[in-house]
Amino acid sequence: MLNPLQRRMLRRRIVQAVPVIIMATFSVFMLLKLLPGDVAITLAGENATSERIEEIRQIHGLDRPLLVQYGQWAWNAVQGDLSNSLLSGEAVTTTLARVFPNTMFIVCYAIVLSIVIGVPLGLLAASQAGGLADRLVMLGSSVGVALPNFWIAMILVVVLALNRQLFPATGFVSPWEDPLGAVWYATLPAVALAASGVAEVARQLRSSLVEVLNSQHFRTLHAKGLPFRTVLWKHGLRNVSVNLLTVISLLVNRTLAATVVVEVVFAIPGMGNTIVNATLQRDFPVVQGAVLAMVLTVITVNLIADMLYSVLDPRISQR
Amino acid sequence: MTDATVQAPHQAQIDRDGFVTRFRHWLTDDPVAAIALAVLCMIVGCAIFAPWISPYDPTLQNYDAMLEGPSAAHLLGTDDLGRDVFSRLIHGASASVYASCLAVGVASLLGIPVGLIAGYAGGWVDEAISRVIDTFLSFPAIVLAIAVTGVLGIGLTNAMISVGIVFAPQLARLARARTLVLKQELYVDAAHCFGASPAWILARHILPNAIQPVLVQMTLLMAVALLAEASLSFLGLGMQPPDPSWGSMIARAYLYAQIAPAQMYAPGIAILVTALAFNTVGESLREALDPTSAKP
Amino acid sequence: MSRRTEEIINSLPPLRRRQVLAGMAGVAAAGLLPKAALAQAGDTLKIRGNANPSSLDPATGGAGSDHVYLYNFFDTLVDWEPETLAPRPGLAASWEFTDPKTLVFKLQDGVTFQDGTPFNAEAVKFNLDRNRTAALSNIKRDVANIANVEATDDLTVTLTLSAPDTALPLILSDRAGMMVSPAALGNDPEANMERNPVGTGPWAFESWTDGEKVSGTRFADHWRKGVPGVDNIEILVIPEAATGLRSVQSGQVNIAYQLDERQQQLVDKMPNLTLVAGPTLYIYQLYVNSARGALKDARVRRALSMAIDREAFVKVTQAGVGEPAYMNLPKAHWAWSEDAAKLTTFDPDGARALMEEAGYGDGLELDLRGYPDQGSVQRQEFLLAQWKKIGVTGRFQNAPVAEASGRFFGEEKVGDLLLSAWTGRPDPSLTYALLYSESSYYNPGRVAPPEGYDAAVQKSRESDNQSERAAALATAQELAMGAQLSIPLSVRYEVDAATANVRDYQANLLGKPKFRDVKLG
Repeated sequence: MLNPLQRRMLRRRIVQAVPVIIMATFSVFMLLKLLPGDVAITLAGENATSERIEEIRQIHGLDRPLLVQYGQWAWNAVQGDLSNSLLSGEAVTTTLARVFPNTMFIVCYAIVLSIVIGVPLGLLAASQAGGLADRLVMLGSSVGVALPNFWIAMILVVVLALNRQLFPATGFVSPWEDPLGAVWYATLPAVALAASGVAEVARQLRSSLVEVLNSQHFRTLHAKGLPFRTVLWKHGLRNVSVNLLTVISLLVNRTLAATVVVEVVFAIPGMGNTIVNATLQRDFPVVQGAVLAMVLTVITVNLIADMLYSVLDPRISQR
Repeated sequence: MTDATVQAPHQAQIDRDGFVTRFRHWLTDDPVAAIALAVLCMIVGCAIFAPWISPYDPTLQNYDAMLEGPSAAHLLGTDDLGRDVFSRLIHGASASVYASCLAVGVASLLGIPVGLIAGYAGGWVDEAISRVIDTFLSFPAIVLAIAVTGVLGIGLTNAMISVGIVFAPQLARLARARTLVLKQELYVDAAHCFGASPAWILARHILPNAIQPVLVQMTLLMAVALLAEASLSFLGLGMQPPDPSWGSMIARAYLYAQIAPAQMYAPGIAILVTALAFNTVGESLREALDPTSAKP
Repeated sequence: MSRRTEEIINSLPPLRRRQVLAGMAGVAAAGLLPKAALAQAGDTLKIRGNANPSSLDPATGGAGSDHVYLYNFFDTLVDWEPETLAPRPGLAASWEFTDPKTLVFKLQDGVTFQDGTPFNAEAVKFNLDRNRTAALSNIKRDVANIANVEATDDLTVTLTLSAPDTALPLILSDRAGMMVSPAALGNDPEANMERNPVGTGPWAFESWTDGEKVSGTRFADHWRKGVPGVDNIEILVIPEAATGLRSVQSGQVNIAYQLDERQQQLVDKMPNLTLVAGPTLYIYQLYVNSARGALKDARVRRALSMAIDREAFVKVTQAGVGEPAYMNLPKAHWAWSEDAAKLTTFDPDGARALMEEAGYGDGLELDLRGYPDQGSVQRQEFLLAQWKKIGVTGRFQNAPVAEASGRFFGEEKVGDLLLSAWTGRPDPSLTYALLYSESSYYNPGRVAPPEGYDAAVQKSRESDNQSERAAALATAQELAMGAQLSIPLSVRYEVDAATANVRDYQANLLGKPKFRDVKLG
């Protein structure tokens, strides 16, 4: 499926990902160390003495030089050991195995909703640029983008979950244990997340389609007598797909980030809740592990997007 | 394609001539944008003149009138400390306008130049910048914002600088992607052949043509910045008491979501309307200022 | 029920009275039914837990929220009366100070650990020695006064103390008194059972999924008759209070404890739920750094306290569910002192006069610290409005709990005041020693307490007569409040919701519920 050029590019991309992972985990590590506050105080308990706090630092190696701490973490991480939570003692890999699928489930659900709803709306708007449908779609997408998604989440909870009890207000079930239940629980969070996703996909698609359709090239094709629909499908979409891909790959990241607050609203045991709590409590191993997982996810998505770019617009891989 | 080559060197000239005229015709041509602009002016007006136009002191507490519904005395009712919601909404405008401008300002100052340079320079410069962009883009934005806020200290300005830093790579990436495509265009090659310096080419040829998606993204970011302010306030990292911001008003209303759900509507609608106005004006301006995006 | 509790209940408005009675006495009607009629094999008692435990090993954990989990798997040497926290027998059938520095425990006969090994004097010695000397122990300070532990015979333990300490029985009702199985640790005091606790408690540990669930199954050989009342227990970790209430409303759990005070009126509206409410030791308060600037002046500290309308504070920030705090203990506590409580009044005019007298008639700006959650912010906004009236201004600089308290109490000592809370200790002498002793962590200025304070606290630890102890503690509290070394604001009330089928559930003054007697009908 891939030509040699593309295969070489894939290899190059994977090699490029290594410094990104190192840079990301290292900068998070340093950032966490810059944060005032000390997990040792929490760990030492309510009646802590300063000697006890110092003792705890030594037990957990928090008194060693930063580079040594990072090196130790990275070396263990390569071997698949992300160490244990300082606060609960649970292995970070176990924590991630539990919360990561929940978050990805909601994110994928939201992205699918965004594309399934956003792309037809964008096409509709572009094909009738300036018309009523266009105006409605653009208005809707402006509203969608302008909606704070956790506010939407709250309203969904109040209206659909508390007043009507159509959906569960909070909580989550694992997609492994109960796929249908997971969809049921994930619907409100996914809708809240997709509000801006739909808007963004529709808007960007419409914007770049209109641009392409107005270019000389397409005016010429249209003038040649090719039906508008054919021009739109055959040439328009192919040309805007690079832009659309950019939007979707940005959207994955944006949605991952947005789940942080939405997960808090719905009390979903996901990456967002985990990472916020761990950051606030300075539970370094958990933050590090969660960031690694997030970074790997985003890098993978970007990699796929890059490969698709080169398929769609060969000029890019030849540079 | 030949006419593009010819047209390009003159394009800036056309733009400059058209600017004032276009701007003059803009409001009459696009009544929706005119309304949006009026809304924005009103919000900025609220932000500036809040102390004179709000009916009450936004921090004045009245424990005998807590969580009341709308009335003649309190147009939007009172909050959990018996403060006038309408007055807090007016005073909150300044925080929200300031927050989104600061974040998007920081983001574009950092992001656009970096993206243009990376895309145009190519080679190891692009490679290095792209890795840094990738690194930043690989973080969930709010987590980075939480961590940066933690280092800078909790507060609205620090929170929005963090958000700006987090947004910058998005603009950089988009600018870079556009630049990558644009520098293949013939008129850029032509300018290069005429001996134009890279800075000239970037500023006169690439930037004006790359700015469209970036501008769209920036207007979207104004809304996202408002949302980010609300999110960070929801986590308690934004505006600090007792000054009101729309985000922290929603966050507080969440405490009473089951008792007084109406509390969370007003600030949310304020955010929605403001962001909507930003978007409408931005979109409309783009079309008005860009000669190539005439309607078919 | 003690007389003092009755007085409080009679002084409450009628609606609240019903609830407090229900809370203090448990849902008593079920006591009339024969127990066998209620016990259904295989039932599961589901509880909404409000935080993931920090550890399930009593010696290594650090969070006050852990107890609710630990009580299910471990018994304590000493138990307490739920209404007043007065000590009563637990794993120790009785105890006696044979002299001020010797404490002898007689243990219950026939108790076994969940792993089948016997609970005896040797096990107690292992536990107490581990708690006071093991490197992993977080509770060394609690049992610092124990110099030696001796297993006199199989059921007798003799503690030799380095100083008289009559607070020990109640200290041994807390973490330090939770008996873990030495065999489960391989008799190694440095081993831990953070994730696989084994004790003598009513349920045997089954599983712990972080941030989600802790579960246990009936320990058939538990020594108390008819305990536990339900075969299985599951505590679901749901940190957010609104979600917690929804979980009990929907029947996902049977009991949600420590709900937000604001939710009390919601619980009242839900016909299928029983409200269980009562005072706790948890006190919202301002910690004062008395070594900084204007706060060195006791008159300024007093003025700050006198300017606060605590009745309104309870009404606004706790939806009226709670009581104003005029000292560091709630009214229902056995060591509460009316004389100490009387020292603090709401008197804005007097406060202004004091400020003027201290030379701050033109106003004073303070460096205020706190936490960023909305509940804290609401309390901050209330206080700012009150202080504005006496010319005190300032802004709260908020940071996450670990950071804010670390910087306020630790080496840095930033900030004049910290708005936080005191979570309470089983014995009040601990509270007073920890809050105001010159070297204590919770005394950020490390200022010496007034003359006679340390002596009064010490005196309370030398007597094992409860009224003598209460008198000594009252003296300590009067001295601390006279100098306004901290500014207590209000007592947090336990607000628990239980489904209609829950029987014999009782709130306690410690605010950390025990579920062993609960039955599902």
